[in-house]
Amino acid sequence: MKRLSILVVLVLGLIGTTSQAQDEIKLTLAAYTTPREAYAEIIPLFQSYWLEQTGQKVTFEESYLGSGAQARAVEGGFEADIVALSLERDVTRLVKAGLITHDWQAKPSRGFVSTSLVVFVVRPENPKGVTDWEDLTAEGVELLTPDPATSGGAQWNVIAAYGAAKRGYVEGYEASDAGAYDLLVDLLSNVAVFDPGARESVITFANGIGDVLLTYENEYYAGIAAGDEYDIVYPRSTVLIENPVAVVDTYADAHGVREAADAFVEFLYTPEAQAIFISKGYRPPVYLSEEATAESTPEAEATEVPTTALWPEGAFDTAVFPLIDDIFTVQYFGGWSKIGEDFFSETGIYSQAIAQTQE
Amino acid sequence: MPEKSVNSLGGFLLVMVVVGYACLLLIGPIIALINEAFSESIGQIIHSIIQADALEALSLTVVISFFTVIIDGVLGLLVAWVLVRHKFWGRDFFNSLVDIPFVISPVIVGYVMIVLFGRLGWFKFIPIAFTPYAMLLVTVFVTLPFVIREVMPVLASLSNEQEEAAYTLGASRWYSFRRVIFPALRPALMYGLVLSLARSLGEFGAAAVAGGAIQGATENATIYIFRSLHDRNDIGAYSMALLLGIISIVILLLMNILKAKESKGN
Amino acid sequence: MQLATPLKKSATIKATPQVDYAAWGLRATALTYLSIMILLPLYVVFTSGLREGIEFFWNAVTQAQAIFALKLTLTTAAIMTLINMLMGTLTAYVIVRYRFWGKVILDAMIDLPFAIPTLVTGLMLVLLYGPQTTLGAFFKDTWDIRIIFSPIGIVLALLFLGFPFVTRSVQPIFEQMDVHQPEASYTLGASSWYTFRRVIFPYIRPAMLTGGLLGFARALGEFGAIVLVAGNIPLKTQTAAVYIYGQVEGGNLPAASAVSVILVSISLLVTLLVEWLQRRNSHA
Repeated sequence: MKRLSILVVLVLGLIGTTSQAQDEIKLTLAAYTTPREAYAEIIPLFQSYWLEQTGQKVTFEESYLGSGAQARAVEGGFEADIVALSLERDVTRLVKAGLITHDWQAKPSRGFVSTSLVVFVVRPENPKGVTDWEDLTAEGVELLTPDPATSGGAQWNVIAAYGAAKRGYVEGYEASDAGAYDLLVDLLSNVAVFDPGARESVITFANGIGDVLLTYENEYYAGIAAGDEYDIVYPRSTVLIENPVAVVDTYADAHGVREAADAFVEFLYTPEAQAIFISKGYRPPVYLSEEATAESTPEAEATEVPTTALWPEGAFDTAVFPLIDDIFTVQYFGGWSKIGEDFFSETGIYSQAIAQTQE
Repeated sequence: MPEKSVNSLGGFLLVMVVVGYACLLLIGPIIALINEAFSESIGQIIHSIIQADALEALSLTVVISFFTVIIDGVLGLLVAWVLVRHKFWGRDFFNSLVDIPFVISPVIVGYVMIVLFGRLGWFKFIPIAFTPYAMLLVTVFVTLPFVIREVMPVLASLSNEQEEAAYTLGASRWYSFRRVIFPALRPALMYGLVLSLARSLGEFGAAAVAGGAIQGATENATIYIFRSLHDRNDIGAYSMALLLGIISIVILLLMNILKAKESKGN
Repeated sequence: MQLATPLKKSATIKATPQVDYAAWGLRATALTYLSIMILLPLYVVFTSGLREGIEFFWNAVTQAQAIFALKLTLTTAAIMTLINMLMGTLTAYVIVRYRFWGKVILDAMIDLPFAIPTLVTGLMLVLLYGPQTTLGAFFKDTWDIRIIFSPIGIVLALLFLGFPFVTRSVQPIFEQMDVHQPEASYTLGASSWYTFRRVIFPYIRPAMLTGGLLGFARALGEFGAIVLVAGNIPLKTQTAAVYIYGQVEGGNLPAASAVSVILVSISLLVTLLVEWLQRRNSHA
């Protein structure tokens, strides 16, 4: 009898996670690898806010994976109510799969809850004397960048390097597609390890591999906060990283938690949540006009916004978040759908460059 | 071959080489783990283990392993029985199938699980993808060959005499199985189950892909280690690794005791 | 160490004359399990790999990255197997032949790789040979060799995992071996090497081979240990399993399947080879 009851308890334990009470709901968040520390603080805030507002207790299940891998998981059946990914393209994938049916970009922020820049993280005192993109191609400099197949951060890195060269901010490389491609090949030849996600890349760097880490600015701050010792180097030109958050209609509706999910996404834009993001090293959302975000056509290039006008004055301390010479957006390449096609498809620029690094 | 003591230079060198190799290969890494884990105090190690998420991960591993072993025992015996005792067309073919989970990469196993049970899968009406049930399924998949492989040779070598004697005395087949055959199989079965248990405690790749590695829901002990390394929770990772390592060594001792018992029985 | 026993034709028990529901039920269950749990996944792998047609399949597996990954997997597994066949045989010999302090511990330790989770193995190796350790820094500074995040680390991890296969396969052979033949050979004036080559080696060769091949097959699919130790550098340290993982996570399922087909096929061939060898030996 005793053995039977133990068995019953164990079986219940296995099934237990699926039952929910009426006044208690569960939200599942699928995020990319880096914002775990930010959400660790935002979620409790939201939980008390929601309890106050509605008397309902909300528990969270979180998963942190490379942005691409996470998008695939959700597409493949991981029933996340909210996705917080690294790049717009991964959310678009869910729209195409029919999982997100509302216009998640119908907001002033266009659905992006935080921004960042691609920067170089180096060892204390910058022993290799890195100042800009061209220094990364030098002999004997080991780079770390994640694998674009799974990591959003990796794709941002590739775009940043390519764009900086094409726009003429990299010495020794022609300000054209050819020059940008050469820079990419030279950079990739210097990569020591391709981790599956941005966070994994940072950990590898912290474990002593590599001289320069290409990563999000916010990851630099996360490392510093955790006690790692690094220095940061800002290139003259880099890409503006915008991180989307969206409710996944199909799952949120199926779980009956739509209201709470929508409220959570809205909550991320409140001053309290934004303050947490800033404290973790994220820059605030950028509010761009329609012209600036239009897909560029052969007739008209999308209007570019100068760096100083991206964020409103006083939005943050520029000692912490410097305004560098040139910050461009993905519109420079025609938006993420074009980038996916041109760069990261099987015959894309990145695949060609990687193959070439082995010749 | 009879044992002899080490009394020649050649023999001495040989023993030294082998022992040295084994120490370097096997013991070295373990010492590194212990060293790293104990660079903090025991108190800290214990503290990491009793954190809520560590305990959740550990209990998931334990629960899944428990059910895996039970299912393996029943299913393993069944399959071994049918393959040894029944004659049918295609028996050799099915016999070769048994070892396949042993050589297929866990990544492929997890991926197949998603293909079959995911949102667009063949069996999407059984929504077990990204749940502990999928993890259970893959763990059973990779551990079953252990049981079957251990039981089959013993079953095949059992002489029919005792069984036939039981029949002529009027015993039912179930009785004969329970009292005559099963006791003979038990050592091999136990050994196979222990191998199974060890394997399921350490399951990582397939379970991570099939379950989705969701904190609080489908994160088992090894996935917890993996995540902790990325959460900069090194102590948490090492503590759990140490715990799993200790459990493995205990299982190792069990394996050796059972093996000794099995060979004594032969 | 054995695979599922080669089946003897006569191993059946007399069943009762009328329709045997119980036996039928047993058989149906067992075969259903085997079909669903094993045949079906194999079918899934092969069809998704070949679904887009032979040309696509060929393209996917001849991608520079894919070819390298397969070559790296096969090479590291082969190197590991060769070293293992040597050290495993020596270890088995030493354990059976000699009495020495600590022998029982050594014997028990050999199964350790079977018991320890592969991820923990990878972690331990990183802790021992990683760039921030004394050993790792030593190798890097003296010979500019990096152990972790290089093929060397992969071979080390595989050696750890594969160690029991050959040892446990050869050990019983040594135990049962009649020591008179080699001793006769010695008294007749043959050198140790000749004796080994002509008398002992043929005796243990089958077990060495089966153990080695099993270890080889196991190494082909290894993921957990390698994912921590190797570094996933395309065209440098990316093995087939890690490549497949990247393709699956990267959404490139047909390519993942194509390479999986190759990997699974090789594993299947090795398994069949081992079974054939075992069958041959059990008739010898």
